[in-house]
Order: sequence, then C-alpha cells, then structure tokens
Amino acid sequence: MTTLADRLRGVVRPVSSHPPVSEQRPDTAAEILGGDWRDEDGLRYLVVNRTYASGYLHGHASVEESLPPADGVWPTLPLLEPSVRDGRLLFLDLETTGLAGGAGTYAFLVGCGWFEGATFRTRQFFLSNYTAERALLGGVAVDAAAASGVVTYNGKSFDLPLIETRFALQRMATPFAGLPHVDMLHPARRLWRRDDHLGEATGCRLTMLEETLCGHRREGDVPGFEIPSRYFHFVRTGDPRPLEAVLEHNRLDLLALALVTARASRLLGEGAAGVRTAREAVGLGRLYERAGLMVQAAECYERAGDVPGDVTALAEALRAYALLLRRGRRYDAAADAWSRLLELPQCPPIMAREASEALAVHHEHRARDLEQARRFAVQSLQFEISEGRQAAIRHRLARIDRKIGEPLSSLY
Amino acid sequence: MLPAKRTDPAHDNALQTVLDRLTGGVAERPDAPDAWVTAVRRLPARPAVFAPFPEAIDARLREALTRRGIDQLYTHQAQAIAHALAGRHVVVTTPTASGKTLCYNAPVLSSILGDPSTRALYLFPTKALAQDQLAELHELANALSSPGSQDIGVFTYDGDTPQDARRAIRGRAHVVLSNPDMLHSGILPHHPRWAKLFENLRYVVIDELHAYRGVFGSHLTNVLRRLRRVCRHYGSNPTFICSSATIANPRELAEALVESPFELVEESGAPRGEKIFLFVNPPVVNQQLGIRRSYVAETRRVAAEFLKRQLQVIVFAQSRLTTEILTTYLKEDFDGPPGTQERIRGYRGGYLPQRRREIEKGLREGSVRAVVSTNALELGIDIGALDICVMAGYPGTIAATWQRAGRAGRRSARSAAVLVASSAPIDQFVVRHPSYFFDAPPEHALVNPDNLHIFVDHVKCAAFELPFGTVETFGRVDVQEVLGILAEGGFVHRADGPTAAEGQWQWTNESYPADAVSLRSISSDNFVVVDTTRGADVIGETSFNSGPSTLHDKAIYLLEGALYQVEKLDFEGRKAYVRQIDCDYYTDAITYTKVTVLETFVGGPSADGACSTRSHGEVHVSSRVVGFKKIKFHTNENVGSGELDLPEQQMHTTAYWLTLPRAVMAGLPYAPDDRRDGVVGLSFAIRQVAQLLLMCDRQDIGLSIGSGDEGEEVEPRIFVYDNYPGGIGFSEPLFGMHAELLSRTRELIAGCECEHGCPTCVGPVGNTGPLAKVAALGMLEALIAGGAPTAAVDVPALGVAAGVAAEDAPA
Repeated sequence: MTTLADRLRGVVRPVSSHPPVSEQRPDTAAEILGGDWRDEDGLRYLVVNRTYASGYLHGHASVEESLPPADGVWPTLPLLEPSVRDGRLLFLDLETTGLAGGAGTYAFLVGCGWFEGATFRTRQFFLSNYTAERALLGGVAVDAAAASGVVTYNGKSFDLPLIETRFALQRMATPFAGLPHVDMLHPARRLWRRDDHLGEATGCRLTMLEETLCGHRREGDVPGFEIPSRYFHFVRTGDPRPLEAVLEHNRLDLLALALVTARASRLLGEGAAGVRTAREAVGLGRLYERAGLMVQAAECYERAGDVPGDVTALAEALRAYALLLRRGRRYDAAADAWSRLLELPQCPPIMAREASEALAVHHEHRARDLEQARRFAVQSLQFEISEGRQAAIRHRLARIDRKIGEPLSSLY
Repeated sequence: MLPAKRTDPAHDNALQTVLDRLTGGVAERPDAPDAWVTAVRRLPARPAVFAPFPEAIDARLREALTRRGIDQLYTHQAQAIAHALAGRHVVVTTPTASGKTLCYNAPVLSSILGDPSTRALYLFPTKALAQDQLAELHELANALSSPGSQDIGVFTYDGDTPQDARRAIRGRAHVVLSNPDMLHSGILPHHPRWAKLFENLRYVVIDELHAYRGVFGSHLTNVLRRLRRVCRHYGSNPTFICSSATIANPRELAEALVESPFELVEESGAPRGEKIFLFVNPPVVNQQLGIRRSYVAETRRVAAEFLKRQLQVIVFAQSRLTTEILTTYLKEDFDGPPGTQERIRGYRGGYLPQRRREIEKGLREGSVRAVVSTNALELGIDIGALDICVMAGYPGTIAATWQRAGRAGRRSARSAAVLVASSAPIDQFVVRHPSYFFDAPPEHALVNPDNLHIFVDHVKCAAFELPFGTVETFGRVDVQEVLGILAEGGFVHRADGPTAAEGQWQWTNESYPADAVSLRSISSDNFVVVDTTRGADVIGETSFNSGPSTLHDKAIYLLEGALYQVEKLDFEGRKAYVRQIDCDYYTDAITYTKVTVLETFVGGPSADGACSTRSHGEVHVSSRVVGFKKIKFHTNENVGSGELDLPEQQMHTTAYWLTLPRAVMAGLPYAPDDRRDGVVGLSFAIRQVAQLLLMCDRQDIGLSIGSGDEGEEVEPRIFVYDNYPGGIGFSEPLFGMHAELLSRTRELIAGCECEHGCPTCVGPVGNTGPLAKVAALGMLEALIAGGAPTAAVDVPALGVAAGVAAEDAPA
C-alpha cells in the first residue's frame, strides 16, 4: 500500500525546486536588514528606519530643494486632489507576494515615507512571520493616522485596495478610508510619459522618471517580478540577505515618489514659464484645465511651441488649445489653433482629420466662407475614417454645395 | 409564477387522439413487456393541500403575498419556511412547479424585513437559472418596499456581471444570486471585499441540489467547506435551505454536501395535473441479429404524431449528436422554407447564451413548437409549460426521467410523457420491467468529496483564502498532512506562532489557485469552435476531454442541424476552425485506450500464488484518438474512415478489473480468436451492467481490455475505470458488487433472444464474432462456478450517483 503522503506527492506538482534550508535564522534579519524588532504579545515584526538628510542627492535632485513648506503639503498639491489638506503627507509603497490580488496576496513590506525637519524619512514594516500581520497592520495604522493624506504611485488600482483588503481580512478598520489620496501615476503620465510608449503603462515607470527628472540611474535594482520569490526564499530558509536589495528598492521607490511629487508641485506653481518640453506643456495644461484654471492652461498650450518637443506632444497641445478656445467661444482664435495644427509637418492623421472637420464647421457657420469650408470638408475625406463619419461629411459637403449653388460632382 | 390554465377542450382532444393512436384506445392497462407500447400508466390529478402561514413569518411579507393572491401556503412550503426561520438546515424535495421558490424566498425576505443587515446567498447550478429566479425575486422584493424603508437589494453576481457593477453589488445586495463556480473563483478568494456579506450571512440557498453529483458534487462539498470556513472567520453561521428533485436520499445528499444534520420536507402539498406516461419499445426487425427499429426514428415518429396536432413538444436526447440528428429530422418534417420562422429548435450545452435565450423565449411564447435538447433543459430553466415530453432513450436514472417528464404539464394541464427505449441493455431492462421505474424508489445520490485531486485543489484555494491553523481540520482527510506535502511543493509555509497552537500555514505562492480549478471537471481547459465560413465567429465550445474525439481534423461538427467540417484543430491553441458544408454523413471517432496497473489495493495474486479474479486499484490510463468513421445519416451505413494523429491523453485513476484465469480460458473449447471475441463480448455486456449497477452516466466510467503478462499464457483482464483523474468513487463499490456483476451479466446474455449476439447483450455480431455470445457465457459459467457463492441482490440496493448531469457550465 502506498501511504497517503506518497499519493499526495503524486497529486501535488511542485511549483519550484525549493532551496535547501540554510543555517541562517530569521533573527539575523534585524541585523542584516538594519532594523529593530517590534514585539506584541510574542508576535514580532521588523521596522527599518532611515533618514535622508537635507543635503542628500538623488542624482542631481536634492532632498532640500524638494521639501514642502513646514513639513506639510505643497500649496499647489490640491490642484491634483482637491480633498488634500495641510499636514504630514505619507508616501506609501507596498512590496507584495504577487500581483494576482485576492485574500492570498499580501504585503510583506509596507514602505512609508514623509518629510520631517528638512529630512526625508522612511519607515518600512517587514513581515518576517505571517502570524504577525495583524500586529504589523496595527503599526502601519498608527503612522497612517498621523497623516493628512497619502501619496502613491499607481495606488488607486494596486496598493490601497490591497492594503485595505488586508485590514478587512484581519477585521480591522482601515486607516486609509477617508484619507485624501494622491495617485501620482496619472499626473506623472501626463507630464513625463515617453511618447514612444504612447498610452502604454510601461511608458512611465518610476525608475524612468528618476532617470529623466533626477538624473539618477539605479545600479543592481531588483526587477519587480523577482521580489515575491526572494521573499518566499526568506520564508522557507530564514536567509534574509536576498531581501536587502528588496528593501533598498522599496526605499528608493519611496524617495523617488517624494521627489517626483515635489517636482510636479513645483511645476504647478511655476506654470507655463517652468515647462521645458512640449509634453510638459500639454500635460501641465491638462492638469490646470482639470482644476478649472483655464487661463493658466491656455498659457501652457501656447508655450508648447516654444520649447523642445516632438510633434505628437505639440499637436496634442494645439488640439487641446483649440478645444479650450472653442469652449470659451473664442472661435477665431480656435480656428487659428486648428490651422496651426493642420500645418504641422507630420501632423498625426487622426488629429489632422479632426482639425479639417473643425475648420470646415468654422468656415461654414462662423466665418461663412463656403469655399474654404468646402476645401476643408474635402480634405477631411482623405483620411481613413468610419463609414458613419464619411456619410456625415458627405452630407455636409452636399449642404455646402447647395449653399454655393454648384453641383457636388464638380468636386471629383 | 402561476401557469396559464389549459382547459382548452381542443388541446385535450388532440392529446387524447394521439394517445388513442399510440395505445389502441386503452386508458390504462397492465404492463406488456413484449408489446410495442409496454406500459400505459395514468398518474391522476392531485388536489392542493394547504397550511396556514407560520407564526414567525414577518407580517409585511404575509400582506405582500396576500396582495399577490397567496393567502395560504402548500403544506411543504409552510414546513420548510418554519424550519428555516428557526435556523434549522432544511432540504425540500419538490416536483416541478410546486412553488419551491417560496420555500426559500419567504424565510429570506422575512428575515431581511426583521433585520435589514441580514444577507443571503443563492447558488444555482447554472447562470441561466439564477437569471430566471432574479425576475421573480425582484418582483416580490419590490412589493415589500415601502416609502422610507431601505430597498431590498437583489442581484445576480456571475461571470457576466460587468466589472463596474461589482463594487455596487457587494455594497448593496441583500440577496446575491450566483453559482458555485463564481463562489469558488470570484467570491471566496476575495472574501475581504465581501466582509459585509459574510459577517451577516444568515441563509445559503442551494437550488437543484440533485445536480451536484459526481465530480461537481465533490467540488461543491469542498467549496462549501471553504464557505463555512470563511463564515466562521467573520463570525457567521448560515442556515442552509436546499431544494432537490425527487431522489431516494435527499437528506443524505444534503448532509453529505453540507456536512451538517438536515430536516427533510418531502410531502408536496401542491396540486398536479393528470399525466399519462407511455413506454415504447421499437419492434425487433431482425430476430436473428436482435436488431430493433432505430429508436431515433421511432422518437421522430412519436414526436411527429403530437406535433401534427399542434401540441408543443420537448424531446430529450441522450447525447449532443443524437440531439442534432433529431433536430435535423424534425426540421425536415416540420420547418418551413429557410428564412421563415423556425418552429423546431435544438438546444444543448455549447450553444452560445444569446441563442439559448432566444430559444427559451420562443418556447414560452409558443412560436417554437418543438425543442430537441440534451439534459441542458432538464433543470428548471423557464420555458413555460409544454404539453408533451418525448425521451429518446432512457435518461439513465429514475430521478432524471421524472425530472424530464416534469417538463411537460405544470399544475393543472393534462400532459403526456413518452419514453422510447434504445436497444441499450439498460433501456431494454427498464422498458420491459416498467414497475422497476414506476414502483421502485428512485436512486441514491452519493458524492465522494475526498478524491485527492479535488481535495488538494481546494485545500490550496482555502489556504489562499485564510491561512490554515496548525491544528485546524478540513473534511475527512488529514489536512495537516496535505499541508505538509504542499509545503514540500512550495505552496505553503508553516509559520510558527508564539505557541504551538497559534502557528499558521501561510500561502507562499504568486498564483491565484482558484483559476486553475474548474468545478465541472478535473481540468478547466476547453476547445472553442471557430466558424470561418464568413470571417471568424466563435459558435460553440467543447470540454478538453471530448475535444479530440469531436473536433479532430475532418470531423463533422453539428450545430442545430447545420453541418460544419473541422478544417484544422489547433490543439495547442485549443481552437477548432470549421467551415459550413453540405454532406450526408457524420463522424464517429475511434479511440484506443491502454490501462496499466500501478498498484493493486485489493485482490490480485495472493501469497499462495492463487489469483483472485477481482481486483481494485490504481491505474494509469492513456487514450488516443486514432481515427474516425464516416456514418451516413438515416441509414447509419459506414461510408468511409480516416486516420488521425492526435496527442495522447493520460490520467491516473482507480479501477475495478476482472481477471480471466488461464484455467478458465484454457477450459473453453474454442479457438484463440473465438476466445478473444468472447472477452470482447463479455466486456461489452459488463460495461452495460456496471452502468446499471452504479447508476452512473455512460461517460462516468471507461472500459478497456488488457492482455495478461507477456511471455506467459494470455490471462486477459477487463478494466472498468473511473473516467476522472484520481477516481470519483465508482470502481470501489463495483469491486464490492463483483458477484452480482457476474450473475447479472450472465442473466443479461443468457436471457437475450438473439442467436449470436446483438447490441443488447455482447454487442453486434459485426463487431465481435459468431461465437462471442457462447464464449462469453462459457467464461461467466466458469467464473461463477469457481468463485464465491453469488448473492442475488436487488438492483437498486447499491445505487450511486443519481440525478442530473449539469451540462451547462457558467463561466
């Protein structure tokens, strides 16, 4: 007879060949990772504190130049999230056991950061033993309760739902409910995404921002996909050494997030005068528009043509400008913006089509220049467009022609 | 909810005319095993038996029901409601249309009225059933809402629920209508998001309980273990309300699935219309070969009699293929020219939901006059009250037969059900012994929740949901040992707590284990069918197991009478590209199966060298589709064949096997080839009898013949294995019934009227050989004479797995 264990081994297919148990004891984690144990009724977790002094340079960006006034929030930050109020901002970044979500994905490292007395401090809560999760979350809750708002990078869809799930699973009240939350991913994408990755989430990773904004390139950074397996290795063997790099990765993410937030806040304060690229100009304009600051937005769109940038960003700026002007009933200025857009060399076809249609409308109804209207309507037919749109344009052409008194056939 | 009354005399006359034609005008008569119509039974109409509302029911609900014309309850409703309100788990067995939904809706709504934080979870075996129930529950909930009070939120939550609606549903639903698959993969793994539901979960309703048998039942038991574990975490302990079709052991089944004691309510107080039940046995057309007229053709003829007189008919077929063939035939007979209203429709799993909804609606509205269905319509999908049910072949179990017959005729209408027997041994047994069906109790339904594959899968899911404690239990298998092995595999890790009892097994894997587990099978893979006639449309899907045999290259794929040929099977991509064609044949795959014994649990050679003829153990089964036959419609002629080279499918499972000792084989006065034929014939008959004894579906067990050890004189073995990886609990009882299996098989072969073998005993002569029948009988005589005394046991004594296979899997 085979034993139950033998039969089970036949059923369970191992996910990986697991490493041999090393001589390391989890106790060495405090020493190797540079932290202190917190003990609650025999349940221990590790807290790792670090301070980045005001003179600390991350690439060419310093902590000093990034400080918010009086350890509080930057005055322009409410433009990104109106509910933000003054007080300590908590920068939050989790390292988790996977991306799958659900009750079995947990945060083994909760990274927190904040500005304090001209320094940037990080506090990492490390779950060295699963049974201490509840105690660890209690520790996180204390720091969260002291904050006036939380700042994350992609936290709306990942970090916050995940940690709230952990609080719910431990049947604890989540300290993040009702706390203002600024997810920097969205404004950062607007301001700094690389246009060769247009629209792709990978086009705006925090490490990329770190390089372009701070001039800092990480050496030996842990790739994200490796992080869960490094933690599982520690769990099985008690060897904390591979986790040093994970904690460092998390700290750098926190620091980069803080610097990026500072940078965005500063740019929001400087306005059009501060932008360096067309992408920044159009992104900043959009952020102003969302916040209802139309004058500042218009200045940014205007500025796009005066700074370096690629044609896509410039075209987007002109399009946004034209739409903004039209909404403000400044039709002639809007038509001017559409014309400039249309005249751009290598103007993206989809925008060129929109521009010529808009100009056809403008000339037919506002400027009442039917010949021009017809010219733009015909031009918009050149682009690959849906049948419905084609029909609409033909309808317009027919109407223009009726007004002109010439037959449609003369156009072909 | 209330059926339309059918007191139309024209309807009754038409029904009577057809019955007279079929029965020769007798109203009811004794059974006649050798006649064309072997049984005519009249099931009388039954009046309603009422009971007052239980005291505990909320007055507002009572008023709302009264306003809707319900001022008293049927007795079974009153009992079930009283049990549920008192917090006792209850299972109700009800015939179709007996008002079972009120049995669970009333206590649930009454409790919500009393305490608005109350939550309930309903589980239906299919998405379609949940949708069906939603409308009715909604209406009742709306009738209860009064100005100022909070609305009672009732929502379905399944694979079709839009992502952006899910959060709102989690917050607002008092009653969540879902299915076990969604509970398993979408709700339990995300239980913290559902904290409000689990904290306040007072009722869990399981409708169509009898559907949870075999693999599905084993999975459900484990899903319910997980559910109750999560409930404990949030401090709730829900009451279970289950409803089931008529089976012999509803309480036992409920207790097996939920693993708690249950109250049983089985006396229905609902009224019933008169029903006439006929058994039809197609006549023998070739006495020598024992060939009967095709039951498919006979079904077509019977259905046509009713259809001609404007009666609405549901035809049940035993397989997808038969369903399609009968649809084709009836369309030929009754459908108008292409483009006109389709009066005849097919219906089966694998049709896309939109097509199904359209057919269901057509049936309710009456524009569809006949539907040919697999068991997909056996469950309570709302298709209105039909007049006639015709079954092409015995559905395999008594419970399923009653369930199907219940599709015709609801509360007050007169209706008829006709069973047309095929030449399969089970069908022939039933049709020739009508009292077995009408007068014996229905089968027992059993589940085996401890199939190791299924158990381990759910332990993984449970460990993902909440860490296991180091002293926690889960089911009957030692879960701590399972967790130890899972730790070896890297799935979990034992984290020590401050004390030994506070340790936990934490999930240490990046995966989401529920995604890898399908409740409908052991593998969650499937093949999709892509029609390339015009563009690339997905027109159907097929389970992984049946993919190779139905979607191989050049296979004919049938969909509602339309024929498609598979142009290419992309095995890796799990896609079959088909193109519509016009041809007069269909295809039948040839599968080779090889069974290797891995370990013998019981039986086999004993210490003194003597060899037992019966064994039970673990086997390795590899099967491969090696070719196919082309079979002409109508005549069933074999008009061609082809070879195929498809990947082998493998599994470990459990098997019963019969060893034919050298002495028995050598003692037969036949040539080796004839002996070989005898073994083939014997295995054919054994398979049929095993199916009858086990009361299982044909696909639940597999059969294979293995020759004995090489180099010695051949000692053939006949394997009957569980057709699921890990085994699902059929082979062990079969091992226990060895003596009965042999004696029943001998009875079957010896009692058959044919001369040299026929499809009813050892298989058609063409497949075996002229001496198969006598050789098989010779082997049985020798085995029985040499074995233990055979005990004659009643056939239904050890029934397994009754009920209905849920063919439709929600996703």
